[in-house]
Amino acid sequence: MTTTNLPAQYPEMGLKVETEETRQRTRRRKFRGFFQSLFSHTLINFVGLFFLVPFLWMLITAFKSNEDVLHTPPRWLPYDNVRVDVNGKMLPLYNVQTEAGTKQLAAVQIVEGVGTFVDPNTPDQLVEYEIQQGETKIAEPVMHVSFRWQNFPDAMNRASRPSINASFWVYFKNSLIIAFFTIIGTLLSNAPVAYAFARLKFPGRDILFVIVLATMMLPYQVTMIPIYLFFNNFLHWGDTFLPIIVPSFFANAYDVFLLRQFFRTIPEEMCDAARVDGASEWQIFTQLVLPLSVPVLATVTVFTFLWAWNDFTGPLLFLTSPRNFTMALGLQDFQSQRTLIWNQLMAAATVFTIPIVIAFFFAQKTFIQGIKLTGSKE
Amino acid sequence: MLELRLGRWKLPLPQFTKWGPRDRLNFRTGMLFLLPWTIGFLAFTLYPMVMSLIYSFSIYHSKAPLEWNGIKNYADLLTDNLFWTSLFNTVYMVAIGVPLTLFASFFCAVLLNLKVRGQALYRVVYFLPSIVPTVASTILWLWILNPQAGILNTVLGYFGIDGPNWMTNPAWSKPGLILLGMWGMGNTIIIYLSGLQDVSVSLLEAAELDGANWWQRLWNITVPMVSPITLFNLITGVIAMFQYFAQAYVFRGFQNLGYPLNSTLFYSVLLYQNAFQWLKMGYASAMAWVLFIIILVCTLLLLKVSDRFTYYAG
Repeated sequence: MTTTNLPAQYPEMGLKVETEETRQRTRRRKFRGFFQSLFSHTLINFVGLFFLVPFLWMLITAFKSNEDVLHTPPRWLPYDNVRVDVNGKMLPLYNVQTEAGTKQLAAVQIVEGVGTFVDPNTPDQLVEYEIQQGETKIAEPVMHVSFRWQNFPDAMNRASRPSINASFWVYFKNSLIIAFFTIIGTLLSNAPVAYAFARLKFPGRDILFVIVLATMMLPYQVTMIPIYLFFNNFLHWGDTFLPIIVPSFFANAYDVFLLRQFFRTIPEEMCDAARVDGASEWQIFTQLVLPLSVPVLATVTVFTFLWAWNDFTGPLLFLTSPRNFTMALGLQDFQSQRTLIWNQLMAAATVFTIPIVIAFFFAQKTFIQGIKLTGSKE
Repeated sequence: MLELRLGRWKLPLPQFTKWGPRDRLNFRTGMLFLLPWTIGFLAFTLYPMVMSLIYSFSIYHSKAPLEWNGIKNYADLLTDNLFWTSLFNTVYMVAIGVPLTLFASFFCAVLLNLKVRGQALYRVVYFLPSIVPTVASTILWLWILNPQAGILNTVLGYFGIDGPNWMTNPAWSKPGLILLGMWGMGNTIIIYLSGLQDVSVSLLEAAELDGANWWQRLWNITVPMVSPITLFNLITGVIAMFQYFAQAYVFRGFQNLGYPLNSTLFYSVLLYQNAFQWLKMGYASAMAWVLFIIILVCTLLLLKVSDRFTYYAG
């Protein structure tokens, strides 16, 4: 840096003038900048923990063993009982307070507070100890950090209740089927409607569009009961996927609005040129507008998947037999049991969440774009 | 052109002019494109609306024929304690939960808009919980709020705070649900964030040159500039909260709906219970219409009042 003889009160002449005063000011600014950045980082990390930790806790719990899951206070990593090989059997290891001090013994069985133990070094001598004498624990399991992957197959191969002849695999499959057909229906039905509102001119269009938007305000509770009776008692579609899938083939206000917003950004001149060349509206729509709309159709696909995968009320109303349950319904049913197996519950919840997380990481831009579009004003 | 005006919003009214042959052709083409929506609207909106209005004036439980009941369903609501309890619980969530969540998501969006290294990663972390399915996230939070083995009270314990019995104490079940809602507010954060990114940089820089500090710039420029987004988030939040159902349904665990002590008996939960557990479908329909009117009035009121507090550029 050059020091000139120019007085400091002419900095606007474009020359770097460094005096003791400016040097101090720069130092102070740097100092303040450092603390501001430190403060921002701390704050953003601290708030981030609120979002991150529950998510991690779901994963951690999903890997916990039955011995560890209800441990108080909770442990931040999944622990499992150490097991040792005794005569070809894997037995859990315990710290047992014997007459000759604390020993590590393997438990053969524990019945009514009395444990039968064996020293792994002398596998044929069985000894019995009470697990607890008054307040003091005599035998305590030896734990080590261990991820129990078995929770996942255990959770997926079971049903939400013991008496049910189905499994979470079936629920998973049902959710996929419903999501697939809902996506097909949504894509097929909403695009032409949105095109008509975006690009066609016909009398009554605007008032119809206002009606479309107005239906967004109508709470589902108003139409829920007649729709339920219509599907269940009139069409006899109760306990099938049809009442959940079929409405998606008849357009909905949100997707119409989203698609219309996008279609309006396609230059009108292109459509007019095609019109002059004698193309019909249907041809313009299918051959010109739709190929240009792949990004927004992707957004609709992703959001429909999210919505269908997440939906709870629909399946709750219409699906009654467990073999037709979706993941959402199965998980709720599992959770409503008195014997809560939290590690398996969290394993099932993780499997339920994974497809969406995968979809998110593949289509991150699409996700964010879609949310911004719904948030955009007209 | 005729139009209905509500503050800034204008609804075009149909103009009754004579149609030419061109109009008729256009109308036919338009209606063909609109066919899926028209059928859907008639079958899944208009018909159910008419039917539920009829049900709401009758005694009906789907097995026996409809029985006219006049306005008795509506009159009964006024003396139904459960109705008032559910309304109170719902209004609690709308009046406390929605503004809190809105404020928190604005705060998070401001954080995510700071120039900080690794911001892309932070955005993913803040957003990710919002895509966890409702049933999964509710069960996860039941587990987190567990008084014995839950981590929330453990973490509070690190700071010397003796956490409440979230799920069993009627005073704490709704705050627990608000926490659950805040955990999944990623959508609102993203909408706010996109609004923050649209705030004119030159305006902020001009204010900085004039000596406005960070807080003054936020309060006097950013907050007014994103006020339309606040209004949007507020209205969608209020509408959604009045229909709050799935979380409350799952949150009770294996207990009765509304556990503990009807503190999570929200409007939609009671409506569901009336319709599908007690088969009082007429009564439930009356509840639904009251809900519709409440939502309508709240939305219109917010739009009306917001005119004074919302700033629209250009």
